[in-house]
Amino acid sequence: MKRTIFNNQLLPWLLLAPQLAITFIFFIWPAGQAIRQSFLREDAFGINTSFAGLNNFQGLLGNAQYLNSMKVTVIFAVSVTVLSMGVALLLAVAVDRMLRSSRVYTTLLVWPYAVAPAVAGILWWFIFNPTVGIMPYILDVIGYDWNHNRSKTDAMILVVIASAWKQISYNFLFFVAGLQAIPASLREAAAIDGAGPVRRFFDITFPLLSPTTFFLLVVNIVYAMFETFAVIDSTTAGGPAQATNIMVYKVYFDGFIGQNLGSSAAQSVILMLIVIALTVIQFRWVEKKVEY
Amino acid sequence: MASITLDNLGKVYPGGTRAVGDVNIDIADGEFIVLVGPSGCGKSTLLRMVAGLESISEGEVRIGDRVVNDVEPADRDIAMVFQNYALYPHMSVRQNLAYGLKNRGTPKAEIERRVKEAAEILQIGPFLDRKPRALSGGQRQRVAMGRAITREPAVFLFDEPLSNLDAKLRVAMRLEIKELQKRLRTTSIYVTHDQLEAMTLADRLVVLNGGRIEQIGTPLDVYRRPASTFVASFIGSPAMNLLDAKAVPHLPGTAHAGTIGIRPEDLSLAEDGLIEMNVMAVEELGAQRLVHGRTSGEAITIALPSDAPLGDTLKLGFDRKNLHLFSRDSGARID
Repeated sequence: MKRTIFNNQLLPWLLLAPQLAITFIFFIWPAGQAIRQSFLREDAFGINTSFAGLNNFQGLLGNAQYLNSMKVTVIFAVSVTVLSMGVALLLAVAVDRMLRSSRVYTTLLVWPYAVAPAVAGILWWFIFNPTVGIMPYILDVIGYDWNHNRSKTDAMILVVIASAWKQISYNFLFFVAGLQAIPASLREAAAIDGAGPVRRFFDITFPLLSPTTFFLLVVNIVYAMFETFAVIDSTTAGGPAQATNIMVYKVYFDGFIGQNLGSSAAQSVILMLIVIALTVIQFRWVEKKVEY
Repeated sequence: MASITLDNLGKVYPGGTRAVGDVNIDIADGEFIVLVGPSGCGKSTLLRMVAGLESISEGEVRIGDRVVNDVEPADRDIAMVFQNYALYPHMSVRQNLAYGLKNRGTPKAEIERRVKEAAEILQIGPFLDRKPRALSGGQRQRVAMGRAITREPAVFLFDEPLSNLDAKLRVAMRLEIKELQKRLRTTSIYVTHDQLEAMTLADRLVVLNGGRIEQIGTPLDVYRRPASTFVASFIGSPAMNLLDAKAVPHLPGTAHAGTIGIRPEDLSLAEDGLIEMNVMAVEELGAQRLVHGRTSGEAITIALPSDAPLGDTLKLGFDRKNLHLFSRDSGARID
C-alpha cells in the first residue's frame, strides 16, 4: 500500500476540523457543562451559584422519585428490547423461509424506521386514545377498559409499544442479514440429523445468530434508555403519577420544567456513566466474546 | 443396508424449468453409484431428491421397499456429506458426531461407543474436543464423514465432498472413501463433476447431461463403449477425439456414421497411417506426451510415449476395433 505523507503540518488538522468542531460543540462541551453543573447549586433565577460538592448526587440517591425513575427505566428498557427483538426475529425467520416476494415484505417492514420518534409517538397516541382511538374500542369489546391517562400499566404498555414498533425495523434488517449468512446446508444437515424445525432453530440457527443478537441487545438498550425521549414526551409526558418517567425524560423535566439545574445535571452525569458502561460492554463482549 | 430405486424420477421447478427427467436407476444393496456430469446437469438435484431436501415432482424414490417421496429427510435412514461439510461451527467435533444420535434419543453409552468407533476409523480421535474452525480442510472432511458413519444409516449420500480440498488430499481422500465404503458395505450415491473421481470410485457410473441419463454402466463399460458423443467426450482424459465423418473420408467401414471417435491413447505413429496430423502444440506429462493438432480442419489429440519422435506433420494409425461410431442426428452410438 502506498503511504501518503503530508509535509504540511496544518492540512491534517484542517481536514479534521469540521468533525472535531462538531464533536466539541455538541458532545464534549455540553458534557463538561453537565459535569460542572452537577457539582453546583444554582437558584431558579440563575443569580446565585454555589459549590455543592456531592450534594446533588446524594440527593438523587435518597430521592424516592429518582429511584422510581430508575426502576421504570429498567422495566421500560427491558420490555422494549424484548418486544422489538422478539417480533423482529419472528418476522426475520418468516421472511428467511420465504423464497419469493421477500423483497416486498422487507421493504415494507423497514419503513417504520424512517418515521420520526415524535411522529411515531403521536401515531400510537391516536391509536390508543381512550376517546377516539381504535384500540380502546376493540379492547372494550373484550371487556378491557383502556385508559393510559389513568392506568400506570396501560401507560407503560403504550410507551413500550410505541418505542418498540420503530425499532423492530432496525432489528429485523440485522436479523435477516444474520440469518442469510447461515449456510442453508447447516439447516439441511440438521434436518437429516433428525432435528425438527423448532429444534433446528434453537440448536443451530439461534446460536449462530448470537453475535447479531448480542449486538442488537446493546443497541436496543441504548435506544430505549436514551432515544425514546420524543416518544414519551408526545404520548404520556412521564405520567400518570411518574409511571413512565424514564431517566432521560426526568433529566429534561427536572432541568427545564422544574428548573433544578444542579440535580438535572447530576442525573445527566449518571446517564453518561451508564452509556460509557454499555459502550465498554459492547466493545469488550461483542468484538471478542460472542463467537463460535 | 438397503437397495434404492429411482422410478421415472423428475423435477420441474415452479415456473416450468425442468431440472431432471425420466431418471430410472436400480441401485443394489451395498453398491457405490456415482452420478457424474457437467455443472447444471441435475446431478445434485437428483441427490437432494433422494435425501428429501428437494421435493419430487414426478416418479418415485424407493429406499428398501418403502416409497419415501413424502418421508422427512430424518426418517429416510440416510446420511449426507455436504460439499462445504456443513459442520455445526458452534459445536465441538464430538457434539457434531453425536448430534444426529442425540436427536433420535440414542442412549448416552451407545452414542459414546459409536462416536469413539467413528473417530477411530477416521483417525480424528485427537480432535474430538476441538471446534471445526480449528481443523484443516482434510480434518473437517473426515469429521463430516464421521457424522455420517456414527448414524449407521442404510444409505450414504455424498455431494461433491472432495471439491474443496487441494489436489493431493483429494486423491488420498478418494481412496479412503472407497476403502471405507468397501468396509462398511453401505449403499452409496456420490455426486461429482470430476470424471476421474467418478471412474475410480464407482461400482457403476451414471452419466448425466441436461437432467437426463446418458449412460449407466461400470467405469470400464462406459469408458470402452460410450453410449453417445457426450459420454465419449466427458469420460476419459484426455478426451476422446470426435471427428466429423465427412472431414476424414479415408476411414473404411464408417460410411454410415456421422461422427467417428477414437481415444488419443488408441492412436499410434504409423508410416502408412490414414490420418495425417499437423502438430500445433505439445504437452509434456512426464510419462506421456500429448500432441495436439489438426487433421482436415478437425482438432485431434494423440497420447504418445515421452520418447516418441515429433515433427510438423505426423502420420497416425489405429486399430479398427478401437473406433467408436456415432449417429449424425442423435449422437448415439452405432454398433
